[in-house]
Amino acid sequence: MNLHERLTEALGRDAVKTQPEDLAVYAFDAYSQAAPPNAVVLPSSTQDVAAAVKISNACGEPVVPRGAGTGLCGGAVPAKGGVVISFARMNRLLALDVRNKRAHVQPGLINLELSEQIRSSGLFYAPDPSSQKVSTIGGNCATNAGGPHCLSYGTTVNHILGLEIVDERGEIFTTSLDDIGYDLTGTLVGSEGTLGIICAIDVRLMKLPESVRVWLAAFGDVEAASETVSAIIGAGIVPTALEIMDDVIVGAVEAAYGAGYPTDAGAVLLIEQAGFADDMDERESAIREIAHEHGAISWRAAKTQAECDLLWAGRKGAAGATGRYAPNYYIQDVCVPRSKLPTALHSVTQSARRHGLKVGNVFHAGDGNLHPLLMYDKRDRQQVAAVIGAGNEILQTCVDLGGTISGEHGIGYEKRDTLSLVFSTDDLATMAKMRDVFDPRRVLNPEKIFPAGVGCAEVKPPDAAYVISNR
Amino acid sequence: MLSQTAKADAAANRIVPKTVAKLQEAVREAHQQGEPLVIEGGNTLSGMGKAPTRAARTLCTSALRKIHAYSFADLTISVGAGITLRGLRSALAEHGQFIPLDAPCAQRATVGGTLAAGWLGPRRHLYGRPRDYVIGTQIVLADGTLAHAGGMVVKNVTGYDMSKLYIGSFGTLGILTSVNFKTLPAPQSARVFIAKLPENSRLRAINAIAQLNVPPAAALWVYGFRKAIDGEDGNDGRIFILHEGSAALIERASRDVRTALGRAGVPETQIIDTGALGAFDRILDACSATIGQRSITYRFSGNLDDAETRLRATYVATHQSGLAAESLLDLMNGDLYARISGKDAHAFCERIEALDDALHVQIPKAVVVACESPIRQVLNVWGSTPAALDRMRAVKATFDPAGTLNPGRFIGDI
Repeated sequence: MNLHERLTEALGRDAVKTQPEDLAVYAFDAYSQAAPPNAVVLPSSTQDVAAAVKISNACGEPVVPRGAGTGLCGGAVPAKGGVVISFARMNRLLALDVRNKRAHVQPGLINLELSEQIRSSGLFYAPDPSSQKVSTIGGNCATNAGGPHCLSYGTTVNHILGLEIVDERGEIFTTSLDDIGYDLTGTLVGSEGTLGIICAIDVRLMKLPESVRVWLAAFGDVEAASETVSAIIGAGIVPTALEIMDDVIVGAVEAAYGAGYPTDAGAVLLIEQAGFADDMDERESAIREIAHEHGAISWRAAKTQAECDLLWAGRKGAAGATGRYAPNYYIQDVCVPRSKLPTALHSVTQSARRHGLKVGNVFHAGDGNLHPLLMYDKRDRQQVAAVIGAGNEILQTCVDLGGTISGEHGIGYEKRDTLSLVFSTDDLATMAKMRDVFDPRRVLNPEKIFPAGVGCAEVKPPDAAYVISNR
Repeated sequence: MLSQTAKADAAANRIVPKTVAKLQEAVREAHQQGEPLVIEGGNTLSGMGKAPTRAARTLCTSALRKIHAYSFADLTISVGAGITLRGLRSALAEHGQFIPLDAPCAQRATVGGTLAAGWLGPRRHLYGRPRDYVIGTQIVLADGTLAHAGGMVVKNVTGYDMSKLYIGSFGTLGILTSVNFKTLPAPQSARVFIAKLPENSRLRAINAIAQLNVPPAAALWVYGFRKAIDGEDGNDGRIFILHEGSAALIERASRDVRTALGRAGVPETQIIDTGALGAFDRILDACSATIGQRSITYRFSGNLDDAETRLRATYVATHQSGLAAESLLDLMNGDLYARISGKDAHAFCERIEALDDALHVQIPKAVVVACESPIRQVLNVWGSTPAALDRMRAVKATFDPAGTLNPGRFIGDI
């Protein structure tokens, strides 16, 4: 039997896709390049995943786990063909433990749906990538996704208590933070499917805050807004979120959502503070005062829940809204020490200008996590080259400022060759030791994270379609 | 007590490198000669795990205690792994910041040792685990290679998060030489509440604390451990609560605590404002404090739901064995620390082996966190085997194939 027949026999006809038009869909995630798999499976259980991996092994095919495919770095692109394992059908909340504030979920559960399903218990799941309406908790774990509220709640890894994993041979094992021994949970989160396939997750939940306030401050330019952020943090105040959008983004957001951002400002700063009612007024006046000291031209406090939601909807939909400016955008994800934000932003503007590109900035300012959006038309080869050139300059600038090349999107396929900007050969060889333990044959999501030639030399799967083409 | 000669031998067998390069050299040499090393920080949690087998020499990181960089406006700091928790604390306090690293013996415990031991303290339910604050590490591997992970930014998904693997690995994969942290603004104020519990009020008091609207930074039920809290125990032990936050929040929390405890039938609550954190430190110290060679301290982790079961099992088994128990129950995280002691070392040694077996039947995850007696070498110091032990062994075999670093100290003789 061939690959398709064996997968169909094990998982059922309904759970296996082999038609070229189906495979083409799974060639992509939100990255610009793609490669079709040889087969796609839609497992319903961990056992299904294990069976699919065993069959893939037997047929010499690599496997690529996939959540919602919202990753921006090609993490879910089957770069060497093989079998894509989609978690679309493993999307349930399996158990909720209110008293101990934890839940057991399947990896395909959509991030926001978890919080919605448990709202009546007074709990929520804190990590909130902007893609949370569609992205899955499994995918979030694979990339250690961030989000606006990571400023005070921490990234995904801080909220993961244990994992059920299918390994490269199709064996199942579990990890738990409650167990004595090495913290495999923490190491597997963020490993982008290269150390094991996440099939179930224990997540930590938090109590819904008693009080939430959202404020919007407008500034003449993005530098003033980011200096305000540094000053707020420097004053010992860490709000729940500190998000900046420049005038380019504000224009797009207003046209798309009418979120109520002032379109005459150079930048807006969205601030959220969650906590207890008792010190809210004190917090508000301290932050407001800092904003005014740093040149805020207006200050608005959301008065109703609807107003809060609208301000946030603008922020979370910002990237998509830029479709008004250009057919395509490239979003960069870099992180610098917070006090270097104004310098980094200035460099971003310079790079974009040099390459003749329109750039918008929407970013997690409190974390120093920048997201310059370079707008272009992919049909224009010159523009594509300009985007690549500017993107690389931005990476180098942020590394020079003491920062790093990915704050929350991951390395995937896109950034693997730039990893050496940050890490030495010894550093990378140390990471590769983990790969040697968990995936010595490089069959789990090959061609990801590690630069070509580092720790991925031994095995090349036979005759897998390997087409990386421009989207 | 060590004899003078033994002391001299111990000193000769102790390497305290002043630089990372010298530490690398020492590790390389040991690796080449096939001589295992004991890895040590402040020697405050050496009662955890078994004494490494076959290791003649000790490598100590305590001289690597520089502050490499402190960008207080960025809320980040990079320190040598040998800096003590107290040293780190006072550097941070100068800028009104802190890192919630709750561990015993802050004056001696090192940052590297505390992280390597994966120590978890009572404030983690509020602030997160120490690992959540580590943004970068520098480590010397078993062959002397120096490797970095992470960086000096607070959000970073560039490559594998290797720091997670090193934290809690008991020096069996490498030696932490430098750690980068993100820091927090220190809370405006702190207040400690101590209440003696009258007969039969313990469960009511514990439930009352679970219902508090403003969660305390730490809340413990304490029985015994006289050095940890001044004054006498109540008939049903004592409650210790630490609240941290703005003055306004602490005022509200104070009213809530007194009302809740009052309803639970607790007549009086003592408040400590000046020295609140010192009082909290004494509680932390108690978690690993030994009584010479006649005590052992276990940590029985679990959810708060089954804390009562663990507590009862401990007291029943201890009573039957003719030993005495004191306990600290973390009311926010569920950890139970029980110190079991005998009248003298002889009585203790005679009975502890059977008790250790009995306790593990009832509480499989029992972990020994402090024991000076050599008898711990024959006890089940790590409790039940984790599901992924074979993978952990494979990790050890890949990182330290010759078994140079702390061989045999960790679970499964890793």
